[in-house]
Amino acid sequence: MSCSIDDLKAYVVGEMTRHERSAIEDHVRVCQNCHDELDRLNSTQSALASLEDEEIPRRIAFVSDRVFEPRWWQTMWRSGPAMGFASAALLAGAIVVHGFERPWAPVAATPSVDTAQIERRVEAQVNERMNAAVGKAVNEAQAKQSAEFAKVLDATQHRFEAQRQADMASFLQADEYRQKQMARLEVASNQGPAQ
Amino acid sequence: MIFREVELRDLIAKARRGHVEAYNVLISRWEKRVFNYLLRLVRQREDALDVSQDVFLKAYQNLKKLDDPAKFPAWLFRIAHNEAYSLLRKRHPEAELTAEPRMAESSGGMFPIESTLAVRSALERLTDDQREAVLLKVYQGFKFEEMAEILSCPVSTVKSRLYTALDLLKQTLAPVNIGGVE
Repeated sequence: MSCSIDDLKAYVVGEMTRHERSAIEDHVRVCQNCHDELDRLNSTQSALASLEDEEIPRRIAFVSDRVFEPRWWQTMWRSGPAMGFASAALLAGAIVVHGFERPWAPVAATPSVDTAQIERRVEAQVNERMNAAVGKAVNEAQAKQSAEFAKVLDATQHRFEAQRQADMASFLQADEYRQKQMARLEVASNQGPAQ
Repeated sequence: MIFREVELRDLIAKARRGHVEAYNVLISRWEKRVFNYLLRLVRQREDALDVSQDVFLKAYQNLKKLDDPAKFPAWLFRIAHNEAYSLLRKRHPEAELTAEPRMAESSGGMFPIESTLAVRSALERLTDDQREAVLLKVYQGFKFEEMAEILSCPVSTVKSRLYTALDLLKQTLAPVNIGGVE
């Protein structure tokens, strides 16, 4: 084996196989320069190892913060039964919504709508209903008016008849009184010249 | 080891499902390593702590993107690497983070005797890339392939950075070595 300082360094830092380590150890037994160099490297390694780790001034304790806790959806996602329940609930909801919702008709199958025709039909129906309503109202008003007129006429006839009968009675009474007066005068005239 | 791998997979799987406590356990296992890696990389305690928190926050938020739970350590350190370099770029937007290594100064007795200070000083003399290579290999024990994933570079680049760093550290720490660290 030839002298290689890099091999000695790899030996010191533990980057050699057992076979390679044996070869180095055999070499330094017969090579004074490599032996001395290996001593220096080992001493350097030992000096470095004398530097002890320091204790951490304060513990890293932020893991208890809420930022580290899983979010609700992460917990939900990781929970198999909960996810199954949520999926079933979503499916049930979708079925209910679909049941109440009118199915979509394809656009191509939609019949063309003649709005003018519909408007005319609606207008005719409205006019018809309005005419019927107006006619009914007019008839009702006429009937009511005729009934009232007949009632008033009847009352007037009764009143005229009563007045006529009263006048007739009064005339008969006056005529009877006149006849009595005439008879009395006639009697008086017949008795006068005889005295 | 196998038990720990199984446990790691289990913790990651639980954390992915939103178990906060499982992620708490993961953090408790890795926070010290991540903090020290970042501390030696960004070299300021408060910054290292803030970045550590950001790292674990991002790790949690992106845990589902981790394909293989066995790669969690390298994946976590990749996030830490990205966060650290984001901070370093903010600090020195004009600096080229992959600059050529600074040459070590003469080591003739000018470093502290105390080995910890010497090692810290030696590490600070490295470029950010070199220092990170040492941190990932020597202190975190990652393999070259894992380091390549963390740093998003070829294995050859990882080796180059690490071996250059070891050369510089060897020179810088020579007085310490002579003083006998072991």
